[in-house]
Amino acid sequence: MIIQILVSGLVLGCVYGLIALGYSLIYKASGMLNFTQGDILTLGAFLGYTFYGVFHIPFILTVIIVFIIMLGFGMVLEKGIISKLVAKGTLPIYTVLATIAVSYIIQNGSMLVWGTQSINFPRIFHVTNIKILGVNIQTEAFVCILVSMICMVSLHIFMKHTRFGTSMRAAAMDPLAARSLGINVSLATGLTWGISAAVAALAGMLIGPLYGVYTTLGATIGRKGFASAVMGGYGNMYGAMLGGAILGLVETFTSAYISSSYKDLVAYILLITFLFIKPTGIFNERAIQD
Amino acid sequence: MGKHLLELKNLQYSYGNIKVVHGIDLYVDEGEIVTIIGANGAGKTTTLQTVSGLTAASGVKGEILFDGRNIGRTRGHLIAGQGLVQVLEGRHVFSKLTVAENIQMGTYIRKDKANINKDIDQVYEMFPRLYERRTQLAGTLSGGEQQMLAIGRALLCNPRMILLDEPSLGLAPIIIKEIFESIVRINKQGTSVLFVEQNSKIALNVADRGYVMQNGEIILHDTSVNLLQNEEVKKAYLGE
Repeated sequence: MIIQILVSGLVLGCVYGLIALGYSLIYKASGMLNFTQGDILTLGAFLGYTFYGVFHIPFILTVIIVFIIMLGFGMVLEKGIISKLVAKGTLPIYTVLATIAVSYIIQNGSMLVWGTQSINFPRIFHVTNIKILGVNIQTEAFVCILVSMICMVSLHIFMKHTRFGTSMRAAAMDPLAARSLGINVSLATGLTWGISAAVAALAGMLIGPLYGVYTTLGATIGRKGFASAVMGGYGNMYGAMLGGAILGLVETFTSAYISSSYKDLVAYILLITFLFIKPTGIFNERAIQD
Repeated sequence: MGKHLLELKNLQYSYGNIKVVHGIDLYVDEGEIVTIIGANGAGKTTTLQTVSGLTAASGVKGEILFDGRNIGRTRGHLIAGQGLVQVLEGRHVFSKLTVAENIQMGTYIRKDKANINKDIDQVYEMFPRLYERRTQLAGTLSGGEQQMLAIGRALLCNPRMILLDEPSLGLAPIIIKEIFESIVRINKQGTSVLFVEQNSKIALNVADRGYVMQNGEIILHDTSVNLLQNEEVKKAYLGE
């Protein structure tokens, strides 16, 4: 029993973590809040369902196609809307509002295309369950955790150990110096938004098979992802993952041992508590001054 | 008249409606060290940043010729590739990257991968302290070390010309001496130098020629030797 709760907690935690990662990356690169993250997850899940469930494209290929499409989507969002607004002298706080607007446009737009009913994401694997430590785990849950981990590790390697990733961090840290050394800061920023969107869409394709796909799927997850990022230390990649895991586990254990009605209550009380006792998050990120 | 490496012709720059550079003419020949001295707010930094494309293209009027090409409209990140790199005022190291990563970012635009490691070794040879601290975060370095890092990083772009904005700012006299010695060495190795400096005495002792800037205009231009003797310069900028 406890292992099953642990696994469902980690599934949620990984998904929150992937969303939180996007929040953090974007904050580092543009100093901006992007509230479309959750709805991009929804869009990713719908696109995944369409390619895999309707067009019967192999799942791996579907993941790659959707990843690339959403990478482009994130870049267009930044280049076409956000940086245009910033260039016009719009206050950052209004730009956050613009992302909320886009978020609702995606939510309602996907309703137009895919309807209001929850859609069942067809099964990905023939094997329904795999046994870990003598406990049956749903294959999709296992894959969700595994792929999230792989995604986080790859992102870590890309950001920390490649020239291009390092240049993206440099561009986020000091755009002026980065430009003076020939780094294309505008491309780096756009790409950060692209990667964040692609990772969110990936999370959608991982959780879709477990939760079903519906227009408001990402709305709650998006908020929880934001909360995870704050708890972990806003702007810190590792904090985002850890924050996600904590929130996912707390939620699932509350559901299991208290009542599922109170899981959000407990999750948000935890967030508020964190804001009071550890405002810089677990990884001590000084979001405001930085 | 031979072709100058860098030539500014009636360069003007405005932030919106506020004009801060009022049409200046300036040149730097291959192999020279040239300085622009002047008080705070004279427009020196703006001039330098305009040359290296770090100010908005919309504010630029006049011509900036580098190696005969007009680069006045070229955008920031494309300038370094032309062989013109700026060391910014206040160092601007990437504080949360390690020294080695900062150095690596200097090589970002390089296409000749084969020579990069050799050049990195050369920078570490010039500034051994950077090598000792290569795994440290750049933000933990002292001001002098940060300036060395900023200079080393810029050098790795393999520039024909390096622009320095207030290299002595906030540094102890002994470090300032060290920094300027390295600038002279870089110049001897074939890189042309244009630098802006408030510390006019050091600037004129290092540079071949100097421009005196005041309220966005060049009011004097001569060899450093002559400027050091100039009564006006002595009174206003050398404190004699």
